[in-house]
Amino acid sequence: MALTRRDVLRLGGAAAAAMLPCGAQAASNRVEEAIAQFSGGATPRDGGVVLEVPEIADNGGAVPVRVAAEGARRIALFADGNPSPGVVVFAFGSLATPAASTRIRLAGSQNVIAVAELADGTFRKTTRAIVVTAGGCG
Amino acid sequence: MARPTPRVRFPKSVTAGVPFRVRTRITHPMHTGLLHDRDGKPVPRRIINRFSVRFDGEVAISVELERAVSADPYFEFEMAVPESGELEFEWVDDDGSIYGLSKRVSVNPG
Repeated sequence: MALTRRDVLRLGGAAAAAMLPCGAQAASNRVEEAIAQFSGGATPRDGGVVLEVPEIADNGGAVPVRVAAEGARRIALFADGNPSPGVVVFAFGSLATPAASTRIRLAGSQNVIAVAELADGTFRKTTRAIVVTAGGCG
Repeated sequence: MARPTPRVRFPKSVTAGVPFRVRTRITHPMHTGLLHDRDGKPVPRRIINRFSVRFDGEVAISVELERAVSADPYFEFEMAVPESGELEFEWVDDDGSIYGLSKRVSVNPG
């Protein structure tokens, strides 16, 4: 490979290419295991979590994400095409509204999954596909 | 690396019990540990791994970060307070450093 990763970083914008290499990562991502670990083995039911993401992200190094779930104690974000599936876990105290926004890194086009633990101890999830035009894979 | 600089924004005065928006950011490279420098040496992982906000000691929100959170981690959320008090922000670095910031939130009288 003629380019070093640093070169790729410079070309693509420093933050954009933060998660090389991309080749064999999906197989070892283990997103289901990561979700099961978060939920203590419970299978989250689909729906009931607000997950706002762009359909197309120009910069995989900083993709804006907003999550919210009525009455949630915790909300976790996972990405099934990154080198590792975990992204972030929010835990809300009683003073906070159970919603948060941040920016995340995506190595390429993939699914982002938000899993919420509700006040009654059940888990819900929402999945969104994101097309990344300039992710970690150039 | 320059010392990470935290920044927070929220309204100067708020109404008791009514949620207000809090925005936070800290300058930090969030090294994933997956990259190499120009000489081919791996850059060790170094991220902010935890962030929390307390109101007079009570945790309002706490966040566990993985390396897929973007550089200069940014968080926005809403919270409410029952009375004037101190908002305490804390970021924990992989290297053990803790970056803190404390700011007063004032509740409108009446």
